[in-house]
Amino acid sequence: MNSMRLRLKALPPVSWMLILIIVIFSLSSPNYLSLSNFRNILIQATPLMILAFAQTCIVLTQGTDLSLGAQVSFVTVMIVYLAKRGVPLLISMAISVILTALIGTVNGIIVAKGNILPFIATFGMQNIINSVSLLLTSGASIYFPSYIYRFIAESTFLFIPMMVWICVLVFIMVWLVLRKTKFGTNIIGLGGNREALSLAGISPVKSLIKTYAFAGFIAGIAGIITLSRVESGQPTVAVGWEFQAVAATLLGGTSLREGKGGVTGTIFGVLLITIVKNGLNIIGVRSIYQNAIIGSIVLAAIIIDAVIRIRTKE
Amino acid sequence: MGKTILTAQKITKLFPGMKALDNVDFDLQAGEVHILVGENGAGKSTLAKVILGAYRQEEGEVFFEGERMEVSGTKDAIAKGIVAVYQEFTLVPYLNVAQNIFLNREHRTKLGFVNHKKMEEEAAALLKSLNCEYINVKSPVKKLSVAEQQMVEIAKALSYKPRVIIFDEPTSALSEREAESLFAQIHRLKREGIGIVYVSHRMEEFPKIGDRITVLRDGKKISTIGINDCSETELINMMVGRDVSQVYVRTDNQHSGEALRTENLSDYTGKVKGADIFVNRGEIVGIAGLVGSGRTELAQLIYGINPIKSGKVYVDGEEIIPKSPVNAVKHGIGLVSEDRKKQGLALGEAIALNTISVSLKKFFPRFFINNKKINGIAKQNVEQLRIVTTSVNKQCKYLSGGNQQKVVLAKWLNFDPQIIIFDEPTRGIDVGAKMEIYKLMDQLAAKGKAILMISSELPEVIGMSDRIYVMHEGRMVEECKRGEFTTEQIGSKMLGLGVGGKRNE
Repeated sequence: MNSMRLRLKALPPVSWMLILIIVIFSLSSPNYLSLSNFRNILIQATPLMILAFAQTCIVLTQGTDLSLGAQVSFVTVMIVYLAKRGVPLLISMAISVILTALIGTVNGIIVAKGNILPFIATFGMQNIINSVSLLLTSGASIYFPSYIYRFIAESTFLFIPMMVWICVLVFIMVWLVLRKTKFGTNIIGLGGNREALSLAGISPVKSLIKTYAFAGFIAGIAGIITLSRVESGQPTVAVGWEFQAVAATLLGGTSLREGKGGVTGTIFGVLLITIVKNGLNIIGVRSIYQNAIIGSIVLAAIIIDAVIRIRTKE
Repeated sequence: MGKTILTAQKITKLFPGMKALDNVDFDLQAGEVHILVGENGAGKSTLAKVILGAYRQEEGEVFFEGERMEVSGTKDAIAKGIVAVYQEFTLVPYLNVAQNIFLNREHRTKLGFVNHKKMEEEAAALLKSLNCEYINVKSPVKKLSVAEQQMVEIAKALSYKPRVIIFDEPTSALSEREAESLFAQIHRLKREGIGIVYVSHRMEEFPKIGDRITVLRDGKKISTIGINDCSETELINMMVGRDVSQVYVRTDNQHSGEALRTENLSDYTGKVKGADIFVNRGEIVGIAGLVGSGRTELAQLIYGINPIKSGKVYVDGEEIIPKSPVNAVKHGIGLVSEDRKKQGLALGEAIALNTISVSLKKFFPRFFINNKKINGIAKQNVEQLRIVTTSVNKQCKYLSGGNQQKVVLAKWLNFDPQIIIFDEPTRGIDVGAKMEIYKLMDQLAAKGKAILMISSELPEVIGMSDRIYVMHEGRMVEECKRGEFTTEQIGSKMLGLGVGGKRNE
């Protein structure tokens, strides 16, 4: 009982916000509380969810990777580009994921070796990748159907779409890395006390490069899921996702200081953003208001967190 | 006592503008506690860091069991079993106690994952041997008290199974009970033949654990003596004894009326606990105390950097509430801060802009500024204070420490505050510039300014002050006028010995 209470306490505040919002939407629309709608929400949330896991790792090191959204778009474009030229689809996918891991490595080298602020380095990278994606497609989206997409996006296991299962697998992987490996320990150390890492004989530079590469790898997986949903190479499909991923991470209780947080909270953050969007659609709020509402929620969560932090400090 | 395991020979370490260590010899025997003692800035921590390889010395060598140590980082030292418990913590806040202790030496399961269970068991055993079984090994260290974190640091050091441990002020964050269990541990380690270097200010601890003492002063080794071969007074004399008659110039001038007073001032961090001071116009008042005694924090309260928890501040007899530095400046208070690079100067900006920065409104009450006029003022400052520079447009980062400090002083001279607080005004600058700064302080006092000077350098406080407060653990434990004190008296009060002179009245 006591440990149960501790566990409830360990849940980030965003989970309570989530429950409150679900209750509000259920009361506003009779269609809201349906199994099919929840299945829908899960499907909508999946690509952002995976990307937000990547962003969480970066935020834990006191950084933000603004190139993650661009990496997702790039993967959809790259896979289609290669496939159109006769490369088997699965191999195109593998190549694309390797490429995003390499992009992450370059990000990491610039940030760690050049000692450049992460948001500046990765903002530059975002622009470069976006340009490459646009060049490869001449700015259009290129349709390329495949049964593999349908397997990922439409086939189900235990009534839940395959892509959601992939998302679960990615979650387990990142959770294990953070909690059960040396690499994960180093990620938390990067945000907490780099001096401590150096003194223990760990190179903060190498660890940071690895973290960005890892984030790129996960972004590649998010790209494959996205492609499976849209079935075409779209150079602008994930514009702004990196910010939504940061928002979800912060909502989930991961802090930009001291390596506090983890991927579990991020699940709630992504669900909150997706549920708010979905609910606003269902109750008929015009889309031009939606961003303002989501922005307000993110700001509210961050301000609440800051207030709690200042209070507890005294 | 065992054989010599560690020797440092003729170590010289230079920092920009000063010799932190000057030809220092040091040796450590197995099963011995060798205490390093000296004033702040005497070079104790520097010597410890040279032994560890964290600092690269300019001259001299360190030998471990006759073998020359590499001077490239701490790796060699760790490999040879030389570890340190640092003053500032080297823990990762959101890793748990066990993870921190075994950072980079994690136990693994067969699958290659981190073996939390085994690490936690071993960490718990280590902490138990330190009488700290109440520390939960699964708790993130962020959630621990400072004392508990210190014990985790010590457990971490022990987990390396070291041959030599360097403790840098290990008891500064510990309660008496915790300090006692640390001493018990140190005795146990001694019996196991481990050599211990113990850096500390706390003289009352020395007889409990020490075997030999090495006194450092101004980067030079003064003496190495057995713990029973010298009295406390002799030790203090060795630490602070310097000829102070030449450097410090004070003209006798009349003090007229009170400019600044604090009553029972306390802050939220608990560093300042009910400080009462006053400063008259034309008077230089010194605050002596160790690092961490709350001196700087007191200055920051008066200057509005940190919020006041309780107590009052009066300027010219009227109560003020210093909410911010802007507010303090409006009441005519200036602060020459401890860290001129971070708080005193805009390093990337020109000398001219820095000298005028506080007084822009004073010289340019309207919207626009006039660069010609600024340069003119700065040129006067450069001449008056003899700032060595090719141009007033030179960026401050290119100046030496002494000249940078003079720019900070020029900034305040231009603003002309009635009360000036000097926090470590001569830290890290050479003797020539020091003397000029002393002279300037004397002139300011002669003009009727009220001056509050905070300094770790006892000779400086004694040489310059009309009146001295001794601060210890957030309170004023002694107040005495010029000529009424000896160096030894103040030195021992600073260290918290014979505390009570003031409080017992």
